[in-house]
Amino acid sequence: MLAYVIRRLAYGVLVVFGVLFFLFVLFFWVATPDDIARRALGEKAPAAAIEQWKVNHGYDRALWPWESYDDNMLFSHYRSMLTFDFGRSDADDVPIMEKIIKGAGPSLALTVPMFVMGLGISVMLSLVVAVFRDTYVDRMGVVLCVLGMSVSILLYIVGAQFLIAKLLRWFPISGFDPSPDVVARFLALPILVGLISSIGSNVRFYRTVFLEEVHRDFVRTARAKGCGEARIMVRHVLRNAMIPILTQIVIAIPFLFTGSLVLESFFGIPGLGALTVEAVQGNDFATLRTMVFVGSLLFVVAQVITDVSYSLADPRVRLE
Amino acid sequence: MILPRLRLRPVSRLGQGAVSLLIGALALSCSNNPYPDADDGLKVLYTVYREAPRTLDPAVSYNVGSHKIIGAICETLLEYHYLKRPYEMIPGLAQAIPKAVPLPDGRVSYTFELREGVMFQDDPSFALGAKAGEAAKKSRLVVAGDFVFQLMRVADPNVNSPVMQTFSKIDGFHEFTSNLMDMRKDPEFAALSVREQYRQAGPVKGLVQRGDFAFEMILSGPYPQILYWFAMPFSAPVPWEAVEYYDGEEGRPRFADHPVGAGPYRLAQYDKQFRIVLERNPNWYGATHPEWKAPGTVYPAEGEAPDTDGVSRAGKTLAFIDRIEFRREKESVPRFNKFLQGYYDKSGINKESFDKVIQGNGLSPEMAAMGIRLHRVVDLSISYIGFNQDDERVGQAAGRHGKLLRQAMSLAIDSDEYIELFLNGRGQPAQSILPPGLFGFDPEYKNAYRVVDIKRARTLLSEAGYPVGIDPETKQPLKLQFDTYATSAAQLIPIQYLIDSWRKIGLDVQVASTTYNKFQEKVDNKVHQIFQWGWVADYPDPENFLFLLISKMAGDKGPNHTNFRNPEYDALFAQMELLPDDAARADLIAQMLDILEEERVWIELLNAESYVLYHEWISQYKPPGFEFSTIKYQNIDPQQRAEKRRTTNQPVMWPAYLLVLIILAIFAPGVVTLIRERQ
Repeated sequence: MLAYVIRRLAYGVLVVFGVLFFLFVLFFWVATPDDIARRALGEKAPAAAIEQWKVNHGYDRALWPWESYDDNMLFSHYRSMLTFDFGRSDADDVPIMEKIIKGAGPSLALTVPMFVMGLGISVMLSLVVAVFRDTYVDRMGVVLCVLGMSVSILLYIVGAQFLIAKLLRWFPISGFDPSPDVVARFLALPILVGLISSIGSNVRFYRTVFLEEVHRDFVRTARAKGCGEARIMVRHVLRNAMIPILTQIVIAIPFLFTGSLVLESFFGIPGLGALTVEAVQGNDFATLRTMVFVGSLLFVVAQVITDVSYSLADPRVRLE
Repeated sequence: MILPRLRLRPVSRLGQGAVSLLIGALALSCSNNPYPDADDGLKVLYTVYREAPRTLDPAVSYNVGSHKIIGAICETLLEYHYLKRPYEMIPGLAQAIPKAVPLPDGRVSYTFELREGVMFQDDPSFALGAKAGEAAKKSRLVVAGDFVFQLMRVADPNVNSPVMQTFSKIDGFHEFTSNLMDMRKDPEFAALSVREQYRQAGPVKGLVQRGDFAFEMILSGPYPQILYWFAMPFSAPVPWEAVEYYDGEEGRPRFADHPVGAGPYRLAQYDKQFRIVLERNPNWYGATHPEWKAPGTVYPAEGEAPDTDGVSRAGKTLAFIDRIEFRREKESVPRFNKFLQGYYDKSGINKESFDKVIQGNGLSPEMAAMGIRLHRVVDLSISYIGFNQDDERVGQAAGRHGKLLRQAMSLAIDSDEYIELFLNGRGQPAQSILPPGLFGFDPEYKNAYRVVDIKRARTLLSEAGYPVGIDPETKQPLKLQFDTYATSAAQLIPIQYLIDSWRKIGLDVQVASTTYNKFQEKVDNKVHQIFQWGWVADYPDPENFLFLLISKMAGDKGPNHTNFRNPEYDALFAQMELLPDDAARADLIAQMLDILEEERVWIELLNAESYVLYHEWISQYKPPGFEFSTIKYQNIDPQQRAEKRRTTNQPVMWPAYLLVLIILAIFAPGVVTLIRERQ
């Protein structure tokens, strides 16, 4: 297994190097340092200020190694990213690492409960509809799930803000405050919207997985042995359906760190998703390329963890 | 099919209890209050900002949103009277407004006498200024050197101050900049502290300290408007210790994120992505020296009345509000809804709610019944349609024909209709380059070409050589080009309205839509023809508008994007800008307006009007028509606010219970039927 993990990690390194090269081409070659400086300082900024800004941000060097082997932006881009020394934001000069650390808290506060509750509720509902398969409950569940999947998250957001926050006054319409006595109020509505918008597709997926297992011989055997339905579903079906569930879980983990672009933006949560959206809107290329790099890195790592987790969840899976 | 056999067990008492507790806790924690309940009775002003400030460095920030924050933190030498209109300057940190003293060599000198005993806010950075053996200081006196230091920062290209050009009228300003840049080529010099760099590259010839509490500023020529710039944060004193200490290294924030000043408030919390909090500065000279009764520290007794709670506060010491919370709200709908819920004290009106909020010229009865009030204030701004005077068709280059064409086009544009259609009536048709509220603005003045008169427009067009709009060369309607950086359909609709207006007199105006950079390039290269632009006042002086059309501001040298060059106008401007607001100045302004009326370099479109909504618990509120800090004059009744919030924000819980019942009603029959079948 170790050899497999090492091989997968090596592939991952190649992917990360490729992503870094792509980012370099996009953010240094297509958009030149002069463009970046002018966007940060304004079109009418004096030439001296532009030059100084480029020096301060390390954009004043040669682009490619063949122009200057010792001091070029390609190598320094790789070096800075791979050593997690992300430098400063193009927009406001704040260290990007500081922004990431500040944004990670609100992002995780939103995404972790949303993910855990979403997973719990989806699995539970899927088990229920699997138990009541081909009945009125199952069909009603399917209708509700398809309905839920068909509606855009933007509509959920606007609808929830209008109905739940404005008319019913259950939670604040938007905003964020990390104070322990109010943070839950701010997170309740986006979590609710996140759950409602994702639950339909999740339930449909898990239901399919569980139904596949429900018809297996070992379930029939367990039932013949007098096992209760609840025990069958939880001890036998759920456990044997772990591989697809694990895939869903582990692949979702990197996105917990990078936050939710839409929910954070609309609810004014200052997480990493909102940071990415703002970096796009504000031409903050340094932050944007860092977020893309961090996202790709987490994704690669999560994929390796997924593979390893297969063998832990199911001893029949051998990683070679 | 094999049906599963269910073994349903009763839910344990513990489980039932836990579920009940959870539901109960959820019901109790339901609240839309975005603030901690403990803040309910406090004198906190809750307001919003949309974009996180790029910088709060007073030398750099040139943005209305940031100035609201910086204006409360940084005290300036001069200020504006809160209630007087037309706007009037009063001394701030200066003991008096300095007089211009002409020097024999043509230069002009101003001496600022400072108030002695004004302290900066407390800040850890002052430890840097402690001498050996001295205890670490928390603050220190504001001295003349702090103003000189700040003006040197404005001259420093690394600081990137947007007003460098304005202050370059100070004698020796440019020389200081060049010295500094030359000396910085030496890495040893560049490694020195900024203060030491300035000391070695300076002094600035036109900034002379006269002891600790006075400094003389010498301008290379007359420029009376320079004083207005001392009522803006650019020249506000900042301690060199803070500039050096807050360098963004080793966990310290940058000075741009941690401004230190001598204003009535200080920055208490700066999470710029979602919240900025200011709290009272106990060192503010209004608080430490109430006996001075300095004009900027007491509520004024004169001027137009603001909305009050009926209590006269004339002569009372400022400030009235303890804390200011700026919350970030990017989306307009949640922002406005929170205002209606009482969680923001003031608001603009978003487009979606305009008809609900405004009826006729005032508030709708529904809003009035909610205790909301409306302030309408005409901004010191103008929106105009300009003609490039270098253009061979519409410009001065076309001689009399060009002028007649411009006059005809001006007569075809209906500002009233434009304002009604595209601004929900929030504006006034402009008659001249000067907006209301400025010296020289005459409410009786009627511009002969700012009425809609299609018949006369057609006559003028014929005189211009385009009978019924036909170009004799092509025998087709005269083709003109409207250059714009508007690209979206929504942005292009108002432009289409203008084009349709000109079509009525037979002209065929085509839209040339491009990116902002390309548009700017066209303007810089003078290849544009007709365009729409606007201007917002930096300070309340007619010079700040009339200079927009002087020759030396033409081309890429300044904001005269029409490239209008008129020696008579320039000569009148040169006289006018040096005069105080008197009859002679008014006469010169009238002559300049006559030239502009006839020349039709601009079609003056409108002066925008701001509608500000605020709740009844806010008092002493009078928004200005241009940006200057007024928070210290405003007041709040927190008890009234807390009571109102409580009564209007009770959560409606019955839909939650109904929802649970509906879910049970949907699933229960199925479950029961299934259980029965299987039993």
